[in-house]
Amino acid sequence: MAVGSAGRWFLLPGLVFLFTIDLIPLLYSAWISFYNWWLLRPRDVRFVGLANYARLASDAEFTRAVVVTTLFTSGAVLVEFLAGLGLALLFAQPFRFLRPLRVLLLLPLFVVPVVGATMWRVIFHPEIGVLNYYLSVLGLGRPPWLSDPTLALVSITIVDAWRTIPFMFLVMYAGIETLPGELYEAASVDGASAWHRFRYITVPLLTYIMLLAVLIRAMDVFREFDIIFVLTGGGPGTATQTIQILNYRAFGLGHMGEANAIGMVTLILVTLMCWILLRAVLGRRGAPA
Amino acid sequence: MKPTRWQAALTALLLVPVLAWTLFPIYWIATASFKTELSLYARPPHWLFTPIADNYTRVLTNIPFFQYLKNSLVIAIGTTIGSLVLGTLAGYGFARFRFRLSEAVRFLVLVMRMAPRMVLVVPYYLMMQRLGLLDTYTGLLIAYVSFALPFSIWLLIGFFVDVPLEVEEAAMIDGCSPLGVLLRIVIPIAAPGLVVAAIFAFLVSWNEFLFALILSGVEAKTLPVVIAGLNTDAGPLYGEMSAAAVMVMLPNIVMTLALQRYLVRGLTLGAVKG
Repeated sequence: MAVGSAGRWFLLPGLVFLFTIDLIPLLYSAWISFYNWWLLRPRDVRFVGLANYARLASDAEFTRAVVVTTLFTSGAVLVEFLAGLGLALLFAQPFRFLRPLRVLLLLPLFVVPVVGATMWRVIFHPEIGVLNYYLSVLGLGRPPWLSDPTLALVSITIVDAWRTIPFMFLVMYAGIETLPGELYEAASVDGASAWHRFRYITVPLLTYIMLLAVLIRAMDVFREFDIIFVLTGGGPGTATQTIQILNYRAFGLGHMGEANAIGMVTLILVTLMCWILLRAVLGRRGAPA
Repeated sequence: MKPTRWQAALTALLLVPVLAWTLFPIYWIATASFKTELSLYARPPHWLFTPIADNYTRVLTNIPFFQYLKNSLVIAIGTTIGSLVLGTLAGYGFARFRFRLSEAVRFLVLVMRMAPRMVLVVPYYLMMQRLGLLDTYTGLLIAYVSFALPFSIWLLIGFFVDVPLEVEEAAMIDGCSPLGVLLRIVIPIAAPGLVVAAIFAFLVSWNEFLFALILSGVEAKTLPVVIAGLNTDAGPLYGEMSAAAVMVMLPNIVMTLALQRYLVRGLTLGAVKG
């Protein structure tokens, strides 16, 4: 490990840029969250301390949104991680016919999210959608994909998975591609099975990349908005009403203080989630090997 | 470990459901762009139909599409370059140099990515207004680099720490400066990581909607805002939306095809002997 003042010159440009651009808006928003500020009553802006947070803590709708968001996040990330890892391993095999297919696998990432979700709404349509047409031909009925409370959560998970399994795939695939090939050759010379090579070479060397993929997805699913807004708008009832949907409503109604408080709580929850994940996987040092 | 023939057959067999799942919605969007709306809802679904070009001509005549395409491209390419340069330097800094609090600072970098954008957009708007950067390429570019940078840094740390230290030390002994080591040794070995960072930085900018909507008026409007505009009060114009979405996908495909030859294994093979 090199130690020296040279490190500073590598780090400073990026860090100064990032913290200047992001911290100023964040602090501003944190400040607003201590105010009672409704856009419809512009003269009645007053400092209320933690009152906005206290109201959220005792609000059953907000608690429910936290539960929904947590369910959606854990389900979607788990599915996406397993599928992405499976695909990365599948495509890391040395078959020439896999090369040209890699780009096809990435295509969902390139669809503008709002358009992708709108198209899925057409596909999911209970009466005239293509999915239910074939399901009913097969005698499986016409499930109300977006209007049944449980199914609606499953449906937004399906769309999120369709969109972002390619992300999981690409990150882990690139990680596998940089692993030293000598190790695998040595291991198979020594008679290690495919499972053992995976368990004792790939997993330890890929831990950091896998963890990063999960972290990034977890924080993005937790704050997912476009897909849910287009597909269900938070409904039916409150079945898919995540924290972000509530936040959007609060902004829409012009409750600036409360909306910013919801944003701050989201940031705190996401930070906690990532911190726990990092600690759990990497141990106390929290650093890559 | 020579792959066997049945292994190849099994792989091919697994690819069928994978590709069907991935490509069906894309196929549905692509064909919707050549269908009338009536045909989109036809039962049984139309797999074969006479394509019409109306949706494309409407998008291209009603909207200054190429102007917005240029905006999107300039901002996305700028975002990619900006976040790659800053991300490579900082990633290498974190991977190879330890200082007090380096772990805390690195976590803070990630925290910057966790804030809900909905909350950041108002103060960011006020900031850009103060700087006179509303509705400019620069205003959006700065926002998008700050979105893409934390992931670029964290991803590249992962790729840089795996570069064998011996190779770097050998280059140092041969008189290479730290920056020289990064450019000549580390970057070529960690190329797949840079490709992934580049693709995602490009996509952050290319697909972003909220900031583009709020911060751009006329001059710097990007494609996602234009496409969302096709989701009218009277319901979405599916055909035109699909046509626009297809045209918006094409640059991404070209970029990925150009970059993917660097996504290959084996550059470290033989880098360290004994």
